[in-house]
Order: sequence, then C-alpha cells, then structure tokens
Amino acid sequence: MTRGTEGGDDAPARGGDRDAPSPDDPVLAVPCEGDDRLALFALETGDRLGEVPVGRLPVHATTCRGRTVVATMGERSVTAVGPTGEVTRVETGVLGPSHFAAANGDLYVSCSAGDALAVVDPEALTLVDRVGVGAEPHELAVAPDGDRLYAGSRRDGVVDVVDTGTRERVGAIDTGPDARVQGVALAPDGSRGYAVDQRGARVVAFDPGGDSGPPAVGASICAEAAVGADPYDLVATADRVLVPGRGDGVVHELDRELEPIAVHEGFSRPVDTFDVADEWWVLDAGAPGLRSLGGAVVETPAPGLAATPVGDGRLAVSHYDDDRVSLVDVESGPVWTADSPACPFGSVVV
Amino acid sequence: MTGDRSNDDADTETRRGLLRAAAGATVAGATGTAGCLGVTTPADVAARSEVSGNVGHFVGPGWLAENRDETVVLDARDAKLFREERVYGARRVPLDALAARESTDEGDAPDADAIAAAFGEAGVAPDDDVLVYGASVGSRVTRVAFALAAVGHEGSIRVLNGGLSGWNGRLGTGSRDRVPPTDYEPDPAPSTWVTREWLADRVGTFNGDGPGLVDVRVPEAYLAAAGADALNDDHDRHGHLPGAIDVHWVGNVAGRRMTDPGRLVRLYEVEAELDRSETVVVYGDDNVDPTSTWLTLKAIGFEDVRLYDGGFGEWANVEGDRGRYPVETATNGVLETDGSVGGDDGGGDFSCTG
Repeated sequence: MTRGTEGGDDAPARGGDRDAPSPDDPVLAVPCEGDDRLALFALETGDRLGEVPVGRLPVHATTCRGRTVVATMGERSVTAVGPTGEVTRVETGVLGPSHFAAANGDLYVSCSAGDALAVVDPEALTLVDRVGVGAEPHELAVAPDGDRLYAGSRRDGVVDVVDTGTRERVGAIDTGPDARVQGVALAPDGSRGYAVDQRGARVVAFDPGGDSGPPAVGASICAEAAVGADPYDLVATADRVLVPGRGDGVVHELDRELEPIAVHEGFSRPVDTFDVADEWWVLDAGAPGLRSLGGAVVETPAPGLAATPVGDGRLAVSHYDDDRVSLVDVESGPVWTADSPACPFGSVVV
Repeated sequence: MTGDRSNDDADTETRRGLLRAAAGATVAGATGTAGCLGVTTPADVAARSEVSGNVGHFVGPGWLAENRDETVVLDARDAKLFREERVYGARRVPLDALAARESTDEGDAPDADAIAAAFGEAGVAPDDDVLVYGASVGSRVTRVAFALAAVGHEGSIRVLNGGLSGWNGRLGTGSRDRVPPTDYEPDPAPSTWVTREWLADRVGTFNGDGPGLVDVRVPEAYLAAAGADALNDDHDRHGHLPGAIDVHWVGNVAGRRMTDPGRLVRLYEVEAELDRSETVVVYGDDNVDPTSTWLTLKAIGFEDVRLYDGGFGEWANVEGDRGRYPVETATNGVLETDGSVGGDDGGGDFSCTG
C-alpha cells in the first residue's frame, strides 16, 4: 500500500481524517541532508508529522536519554530535540559530526572534518570532553561492556581505541599504508574487530584487546581480505563478516578470520546489509529493491542509500536521491511511501 | 670664436640637460617624462612607493626623507645585504633574536627579554620613533614591527613601503655604523599575541561567535593536501585550527610594496568577512610570516589584531590530550590571493627576505 505522496512542504502535517498520533506511537525521524531538517513520520502509517530545523547537513540521528540527537556535518555542533520539543545545539568545537555511539553514559560523536571525537553529556546536553584521534574519524564501534570505543580514521588509516572510563585514546591499530578506514565493527562478543579500508578495497581484522589491555599504539592487524571495489560499511556477526563492494556490485561473505565463504554477485551498488526476518538483506543504492543473500527479492519505490530495521520484518528505507522515505516489509513489499525533504539519510525510530 | 662659443654653449646646454634630468628625478614633471620615454628612474620607484590615504604604519620614501633626522631606521635584512648597501645610518637587527619565544604554561609566547635585548644592542630606546625596512615589505620586516609592539615600544612604528629599492636618498655601505647600545627595558604587551591555551579555550567559536582567525599559510598546508610539498615534515598533524580561514600572507604584498589598500580591505573585510572592530588572530607555521597579515590588518584599520606566536608548529605537535587542540582537514575556507613578494637578495626564499 502506497500512501505517502500527499507530503511536500505545503501539505498539512497530517491527513485530515486520520486519528491524531498518540505519543505512544513510534515516530520515524529522518535527517534530510539537503534541507537541513529532521523530518518526522508516523512509523505505522507514513503520515508526515512535522519537521525540525536542525542545522546544516544532517546525516544521522540517534536517541539517548529521551532525546533525539542529530549529527549535522555542516556544523560544529549537534542538535538535540528534547521530550517536550525543545531544540538544543550542543557544541562540538570541530566540524563534521557524523556518527554516534553511546558508551559509559556518554554520547560520542565523530567529528569527521577534524581529528577528534566530541563527548556529549546526553542529560545535560553539554560538551564534556573531546578525544583526539586519527584525522577524519568516521564510524564508531563500542565493545560489549562499553569500556572501549573504536573509531576509524579516513585520513590516517588507523582504528583508534578509546577508554570510555577516562575518555582517553589508549591505543591504535594501524590498518596499513594509505588505508582509508570507513566502516568499523566488532563481533557481538567483542573478541574480534573489523575495519573496511575503502581505498584499498579490503577488510581487516584486529584484536580489540581483552582483559589484558587495549592494543598498543601502532598495533598490527591480524588478518585481511580483498573485497569488492569501493567498500564502505560492514556487518560482523558471531561467525560472519559481510562487506558490500559498491563499485563491483558484490557482497563478500567471510568467516570471522576473514577466510572467504562466498561472493554474492549481481547487485548494482550494494551499500549495506540487514538481518531481517532471519535473512540477510542487501540495500542497493543503484536498484529499486532489496535482495537477500539467499536470492529473495522485494521491490522498493526507489533505490535506497540508508535503512533502519524497525522490527516485524520491516526496514525504513531512505531514498536519498528521490526525496522519499518508505517502510518496506521484506515479505510483502512497501507498506507506505512518503515524500520527504531533500536527501533523506540515516533515520532512527523514536 | 663664434664657433667656440657655440661649442661651449652646446656643451653647457648638454651639461645643463644632464643636470636637469638628474635633478628632475626629484620633481614630479621629470618623473612623468621619464615614464613616457620608457625609462624608470629612482624617482619613479620612490613615487610608486608613496603611501596615501588612511593607511597606518606604512610610509613612503618621502616621509622618511622628511623625518630622517628624528627617526631610528632599522634594517631587517641579513648581514650581507646590509653591508652591501643600506639606508645611510640604518642599524641592522637580527631576525632570530626578534623571533625568540619563551615557553609558558599557556604555551609559547614572545620572549620579551630576548627581543628587548636585541633592540638594545641596536641602540634603540623605548621611546624612539622607528622605521623598519627590508628588500620589500615582506614578513621579515613586519616581524620587526611586531617585535617592537610586543615589547611595548612607546615610540611610533613604521615600515618603509617599497623597501630599500624605493629609497632614493643617501645610502651607506660597509661595516655597521657604531651605535651605543641601550638598556631597553621591555614592557610586554600581551594584547598583541595569543597563546595555545587562549585559542584552545575558544575552539569552535572562530569566525563565528568568537574571534576572527586567519591562517596565512599556503592553501596546500591549510588543506593538508596529501603529498604536497607544503606539508611540514616536522608536524605530527596537518590541517588548520577549527574554523580558520586561509588567506595566504603573500597577498598582502605586490612586488616590493604593500598591496593596494582598497584591494586589502575587500580581501579581508568583504571576502574574508572579518570584523575590523573585533579581535582577529593570525597564525602561520612560524611566527614570522603571519606578522605580515598582523601589520596589514592594523594598517587598514583593524583595531585588535593578535599573533599566535607559537603557530601551527606548536599546535600540531602538542603533547598529551590532543582533543583540546583539534585540527580540521576536510574544510575549505581558502581565499585566493594574487600577491608576490619581491626582494633581490638571491636567497630564493622570499618569505624571509623582507
């Protein structure tokens, strides 16, 4: 069922005949990079509930302590929307907030135009610290116990290790010369770390350090494997590592030691993988559909650049180039589609 | 006899013509004639170096000619050039001593005692009216001007537009003229500089709610362009202070003279959007080149201009918690400039030729 074309800047926030949304109903909050807004949709119906101006180039959002926090890459701040609707700018001091990670009661934000992670008190909504890391940090991963955080550097080719108790950089894994680290992930039990080297079209594995202590500065990787061209993100499970290669239209499936299991071909521009309804589904930025690694296909209204699992076998898909958002059931296809402000990106369910 | 007289007259006229031409080098009419003939005389050069309008600190050769007796003239060039030719009576000051720093808890700062000692050695007293010159108006000259300000110099501080080549008055040569040293007692003026900690406290505010911040290095250094020769191998990190805009200091100079003041006002006030009534901080890799922008901004009317004396060299290599001292790389606040720094000393490095 497609409902969502009634949106647009001049449309009423909600359809007139529909029931008012209950505060208990989940809301899909979508940062829209092209319009500097956080667009709000009723998750179940796709009704457009409103927009919040959040600063330049919003790309990702997260929730923390009852707040929705938006990373605005064009600012030296992030924007928090409180439970009563108040909007607060939290200074990071460094340009390019892009990814979030919550650890040890703090909210970490990678400042991708600089060389620091901003540490925000999500309750007080203040900058409490900055941690110096490799230049242009991007994705963040947190150890299961929350004691350590791992940040990939797009410029320095390292994965920095941060002690979240002291908020200090305590180690760094050297992923290789000229590496450009994009995605970073840990196995669910925290026993192995992985990083995608976009420039080198490879994925590396590293020892994240256990009770014996963090990796030293300059620590080496313990395995690596070639993947499809222009990789960006990755997913690590208990026994698998999945890496889409956007340039080659393939998804590499590797075991935890990065030995190859399979190369899944036939995608256009695969960007991410999601575990939905006991299947691994691949989001494709070059084709209007989701395809599982098992071969199942479900059409989507347009190619998607980012998606968020929202439960019950569904994904909220951001159609970045088409200014639309959809809710897609991997069994039955699109549930609803709605117009959005320009360039919707990494959403969050609130 | 007539013929003899004619020859004498002719010789006299020829001689008079030569003398007129030579004398004409100091009058406006002759300057114009020489220009029409495609000949550049010292008067042309001097005339082009004159400074008019509401410009501070920079003066032309005419000002120096009129105020020579009341002004202490400092030569900012190296010793070899100084010995070869200089403004008569000028005293050389060593750049190294005037760029001396001291380490403080707040970060590097000008070493006022070392700087004052260097001025004292040159016989400068705190209340002297001083004019500085070099081969042009490059950063070597402006560092001397900054050093005077930093030690709280009470007398006036001026720079000779056009450098030595613009001076068509009396010249000296040979060894240094003996000048009795003075006991220059510094009165440090911390309002002329900022420290690492001053900046760290304001990260995130530059060119926004806080002070203006200008990076004077070449764009490749500011942008941390991978593989660029401009990247300093001694730096642990590359890039720029968060929020800084880049205006290469060479844009302040056109050959041996300061860039047209109207162009400078457009560059800094219109294009860079700096507020002349607010604090503006300038920095470079070292503490010499950015003084060109320091003095230029003051000359065109900026009220509170300060130098980060520690420079990017200190910021990039700070030990310990670098989260307090971040750099940015993936931003582009470069304003293109088209200046060039003249100075025929054969040194090849115009940034330090004055």
